[in-house]
Amino acid sequence: MDIKELFAKQEEMKRKNLNAKNEKESEITKVLTFFIGDQVYGIEIPMVIEIIGVPHITVVPGIPYYIKGIINVRSKVVPVIDMRSRFGKEEKEYNERTNTIIIEESGVTVGVIVDEVIGVIPVYQKNIANSPDRIGVNDNKFIKYLLEMQDGIKLVLDVAKLIYDGDMFLGEE
Amino acid sequence: MAKVEPGMEAMIDTYIFETTTLLEQLDEILLRTEKANEFTEEDINEIFRIMHTVKGSSAMMGFENLQMLAHKGEDMFFIIREAPEKMTDVGFVYDLVFQMSDLFKAEIDMIQNDDDYEPTDFSEMIAKLEKGAKMLKGELDETEAAAAPAAGASTAAPAVPEGVDADCTTVRVFFEDGCKMENIRAFMLINNVKELVDDVEIVKYIPEDIESNQDSANVIIDNGFIISFKAPDVKAVLSAIEGSLNVQSYEVIDSNAAEPEEEKAPEPAPAPAAQAEAAPAAQAAPKPAPKPAEKPKPEAAKSSSGGGKQSLISVNLQKLDQLHDIVGEIITTESMVISNPELEGLRLESFTKSARELRKLTDELQDTVMSIRMVPLTGPFQKMNRIVRDMKVKLGKDVELVIEGDTTEVDKSIVDNLNDPLMHLVRNAVDHGIEDTTEERVARGKPAKGTVKLSAMSSSGEVVITISDDGQGIDTDKVIQKAERNGLLTKPVSEYSEREIQNMILLPGFSTNDVVTEYSGRGVGMDVVKSNLSKMGGSLTVESKKGEGTSFIIKIPLTLAIVDGMEIMVGDAEFTVPISVIKESFIVKRDQILNDTRRGEMIMIRGVCYPMLRLNEKFGLPSDVNDIEDGIVLLIESENRGICLFADKLIGEQQVVVKPFPKYLSQYDIKGQGLSGCTIMGDGSISLIIDVNTLIGTR
Repeated sequence: MDIKELFAKQEEMKRKNLNAKNEKESEITKVLTFFIGDQVYGIEIPMVIEIIGVPHITVVPGIPYYIKGIINVRSKVVPVIDMRSRFGKEEKEYNERTNTIIIEESGVTVGVIVDEVIGVIPVYQKNIANSPDRIGVNDNKFIKYLLEMQDGIKLVLDVAKLIYDGDMFLGEE
Repeated sequence: MAKVEPGMEAMIDTYIFETTTLLEQLDEILLRTEKANEFTEEDINEIFRIMHTVKGSSAMMGFENLQMLAHKGEDMFFIIREAPEKMTDVGFVYDLVFQMSDLFKAEIDMIQNDDDYEPTDFSEMIAKLEKGAKMLKGELDETEAAAAPAAGASTAAPAVPEGVDADCTTVRVFFEDGCKMENIRAFMLINNVKELVDDVEIVKYIPEDIESNQDSANVIIDNGFIISFKAPDVKAVLSAIEGSLNVQSYEVIDSNAAEPEEEKAPEPAPAPAAQAEAAPAAQAAPKPAPKPAEKPKPEAAKSSSGGGKQSLISVNLQKLDQLHDIVGEIITTESMVISNPELEGLRLESFTKSARELRKLTDELQDTVMSIRMVPLTGPFQKMNRIVRDMKVKLGKDVELVIEGDTTEVDKSIVDNLNDPLMHLVRNAVDHGIEDTTEERVARGKPAKGTVKLSAMSSSGEVVITISDDGQGIDTDKVIQKAERNGLLTKPVSEYSEREIQNMILLPGFSTNDVVTEYSGRGVGMDVVKSNLSKMGGSLTVESKKGEGTSFIIKIPLTLAIVDGMEIMVGDAEFTVPISVIKESFIVKRDQILNDTRRGEMIMIRGVCYPMLRLNEKFGLPSDVNDIEDGIVLLIESENRGICLFADKLIGEQQVVVKPFPKYLSQYDIKGQGLSGCTIMGDGSISLIIDVNTLIGTR
């Protein structure tokens, strides 16, 4: 092995390290965080259309109990899902803090009712916790990944599963 | 969708749309000219242009077979364009072009719908077209000409039979389509002329062997029957010919006699001015030149329609829907601004004035947007022309389709769904409605030619389409017998009214025709037509008089998107009931209610017992109004079944824009609950639209 080759190798190693560091540092996406009970959940920002309060909900017969009905969002009829009810938590009266997050995934628009919207946080690769045993099973069926932030763990929801999984219901209390 | 040349995928939709439109245009021209029995120069140019465009775009998309086919069609019309006078015999041109247009349509259909589309081999049709082109050029030699003997003779410009004296008059006679045994009729015609006119000398006729040769009938169908005669009074002979049985039209090919040419016009006469011009022109040129003098009229019609074409653009329907939604949004927002609670109690004179102005404009905007979605019924109606023409030829029935009110406009989505029901009903009218033979018709004192009338008109939010024939009518005895056999009767035979019996043919499992023909009776009954129409919110009824004819009456709403509704409250939910099904609304006394054994409530109205459905119980809505005397009862009726709905209160009448339930909810059976859709009210709240048919069914 001559000196030239060694030199090139070293360079390559350096570059790789740098890339890895960049990857860890760079922002992957942003997540909208909100409370359901005491737990902080998140939805990736690209899915979110808008956040509104709780408008008048028109009850529709013949649908699961966690779908509260339909609402009028700027002349669009949108079904709303109560996340407490959805996650098998006890429902509580809506108040001025209660928010409806309108999300869209592959052409389907739904509103999800959450206790309180917190804010938007940037997500870096380093924040994503590698804990496969806690994702996609049982209670955490709708969780895409966990975020370990300084102020605690946040559960980022898998919107596609939330919308399409016909059997989303997690068990009754 | 078929695979196309790489990079052309995006173009295929445009190609299909464009080619289909062109082919429809082609059909329209052909049908129009066939009726008038002549091509104007304009028509020929138009057909040539269509062929050329189709050829070009097919080549671009890489459909070589279609390109070739269009090329041959173009060739043929090139010849016609160069020398239109050679096309004295147009019958076979029509057949060829119609066949070609059918092949095209079938192929386009395959391209559109087949994933593994394989190009069809058109060599047979291409050969036919080549032969047709040759024939037009007059290049066809004797052996080939044998297939159409007189065509060869007549394409040679002067169609005067050989060996005819100069002072002879030669006439070409066409018999009515499908009158059968044309050779015998020709023979009768000659006898008839001899009988009626003295001193007439029939010099020659083509074909000559009409008495002995059956095949000469086909020659007559294709080329007409040519008679040369000498007579002192040519006019009398011509009127004798015209008056003979089954003669559809005749033309004087060559007249050296003294009679002026004006006499030759059994066809739709041109405007008087044109005729005056035509006479000297025709006299100057004894051989009928390519009819230049008759051009003005069709040309005028042409230019007006040509002007209309350019002012149209095609828009994606989705964009229109979007526009429609936005306008709805604007109107909702407008009322939110104008009746904002924060403005209450303020004196705002100029604001109110401006608000009124705005309201006027938005109303206008809404009307305009609605009207954009409205299209005339011309498209589906014109398609029926083609169907009738084809059936006429196949079934050998002489039928005319009369179209009225085809400019009536309905919502685009309705027009798209009207094609099949219309086709079915028109086919039915021609196949079963009109008598099988002209003799039958004449014996009943009707004109030999059957008429099928397709008419449309709009009346108060509905479009009424009538398909009527002057045929044999519905045989009620036959119908009731059949209904009895099929077990469709629900009461004794004697209790059925005529109207009820006639409408039985619309029941599932009913088909009066035991014989399956190519056109109807293929298992798809009237009930399918009826259910297709009711899916659009329409209805179908029959009216018939035995021996006089049958009418099928379709009533459909102008638009699917708007419903005249009655708003009702149940608990804190608002519902819309289509006004068309509400018979009446009233308040009932407690003692009017009957209870059946299953605790179901019923109510007796004018001797009829209706079940009562409490909407709050049905939809599981908590309501303060539980006493039957506090709420309101609506009697609704659909498809002859009635039910009473109990609601808290009536709000009022309103026109609402129907919206389907969100896609996400389609996995649940909301429709089965008796709700057909929802609508956004002026105040932004959502009202659910009640689907009466399912509601009655669930009870």
